[in-house]
Amino acid sequence: MSRVEARAAGLYHRTVVTVLFLILLLPLAGTLLYSISTSWSATILPDGLTLKWYAQLWTDPRFLAAFGQSLLVCFGALLLSVVLILPLLFVVHYHFPKLDGLMNILILLPFAVPPVVSSVGLLQIYGSGPLAMVGTPWILIGCYFTVALPFMYRAITNNLQAINLTDLMDAAHLLGASTWKAAFLVVLPNLRKGLMVSLFLSFSFLFGEFVFANLLVGTRYETLQVYLNNMKNSSGHFNSALVISYFFFVLLFTWAANRLNKDKA
Amino acid sequence: MSFLSIQGLHKSYAATSIFSDINCEIGKGEFVTLLGPSGCGKSTLLRCIAGLTEVNGGQILLEGQDLVPLSPQKRDIGMVFQSYALFPNMSVQQNVAFGLRMQKVSKDESAKRVKEALDMVELGSFADRYPHQLSGGQCQRVALARSLVTRPRLLLLDEPLSALDARIRKHLREQIRSIQQELGLTTIFVTHDQEEALTMSDRIFLMNAGKIVQSGDAETLYTAPVDAFAAGFIGNYNLLDADAASRLLLRPVTGRVAIRPEAISLGVGDIDAEVRSHSLLGNVIRYRVEARGVELLVDVLNRSADDLHGNGKRLTLSIDNDAIREVA
Repeated sequence: MSRVEARAAGLYHRTVVTVLFLILLLPLAGTLLYSISTSWSATILPDGLTLKWYAQLWTDPRFLAAFGQSLLVCFGALLLSVVLILPLLFVVHYHFPKLDGLMNILILLPFAVPPVVSSVGLLQIYGSGPLAMVGTPWILIGCYFTVALPFMYRAITNNLQAINLTDLMDAAHLLGASTWKAAFLVVLPNLRKGLMVSLFLSFSFLFGEFVFANLLVGTRYETLQVYLNNMKNSSGHFNSALVISYFFFVLLFTWAANRLNKDKA
Repeated sequence: MSFLSIQGLHKSYAATSIFSDINCEIGKGEFVTLLGPSGCGKSTLLRCIAGLTEVNGGQILLEGQDLVPLSPQKRDIGMVFQSYALFPNMSVQQNVAFGLRMQKVSKDESAKRVKEALDMVELGSFADRYPHQLSGGQCQRVALARSLVTRPRLLLLDEPLSALDARIRKHLREQIRSIQQELGLTTIFVTHDQEEALTMSDRIFLMNAGKIVQSGDAETLYTAPVDAFAAGFIGNYNLLDADAASRLLLRPVTGRVAIRPEAISLGVGDIDAEVRSHSLLGNVIRYRVEARGVELLVDVLNRSADDLHGNGKRLTLSIDNDAIREVA
């Protein structure tokens, strides 16, 4: 390829990327601008700029409660996932590698049933009787666990396959380590990356989850997305401030996750 | 009583027998190689000695103590794996120190011994590197240092050179052998590479299909194969059935016959032959010739242009009588 051609191709590539970036960014930029304008209806540009919508949002106790409850449910579900999936994965890959195929099918099941359908089922089972959990955060934690399962399982499995688990465990055993010690000192530190990536991915996903939260719990334990839905009739500026705040939080979280991963890699 | 004695060892998975009734004796300080094609059970045997795979019967006596009921942690055996099995999250120093850490050796003592071990494999200046910053050969030397630092009674090497390129393999081969001799460490080496086995070992156990076919030093194994498999696996023996052998040697032969390719001389003798093809291996020229309707491989030292014969050339050959071996 000649230099002129290379430059033309470079220009083309940059244009495509820039246009794509703009398309993705424009709605967000519009929302951001709307959230800091006093009013914006009949003119091309807003009448004036203000932070009052943000002040109003961040002093609303209902918003703060929803925010906190969202965090709590997400962290609860992720904690449950880590506690259950890590040992499970270890056992499957170290002792029963043949089960991996079966696990892969089980893991994908939550994807096979649309959330709306499965929440109807969950309402039936947990709506009454000994396990009446509908309307409490517990059902959300359990439900989010199944949603996070595929992400966590796949990411950590890839990680496990990359480290040659059997040989590492064998080597550690021969050097005098018990299975527990080998798992904690040798295997776990090497899974950190996959674990972190899957945790942040699942968090971003769960933090924005609406269908289960709305159908199973609704206003009885309001999460951020349900709150947003319930506020749809209030001022558009206020809602924009809410969306931007939400987006900014997830952005911050993702950035922190990336930093954390780079430092120790 | 020998240092390591394996008696009637048996291993099977479900209905498939991997090996049965394995017996061998290994002396202290000996370098022994388990040689055989893949799937012959040699790696499984090594893993059984290490305790990483359970056996179904038999005894493994190390200094008179039966290892079979012991867990791998308690056997005091060092092992090097084909995949290196270095801990990726730990530096070279931490990797080598791991075994001492498990034994709760004091920090000072541990640092001293780690340094000694790393110096022995010529990696003293790499202590702070991580495995992903090392080449394959360096990784394997770290793994060797890691298995030596705990001063094991027995060192097991599971195809440690198979993942490395030819030049590094040769160098590491010599390094392993010289360290082993320096420490007087009893070592069992597993390989499918006959050259490695022949150059490194005090004694070779040739295995096939879960059985020890032949054992002995390199010379015995090379010059006196006991059966057709041994002859076929080591060197490039010409294996002739009774019919072909009778035709070639002009005398009745009842069994199979093995003839080493370098025991046949070209240009002398009274057997008429024709060169079918030839290839230059460097210092050796390998001919494929046909004599009395039998195809033979002949290796000739490449000393001068006189040793080169073109395809289709008619000449005579002679076969060294001592090198004609009847095998089962």
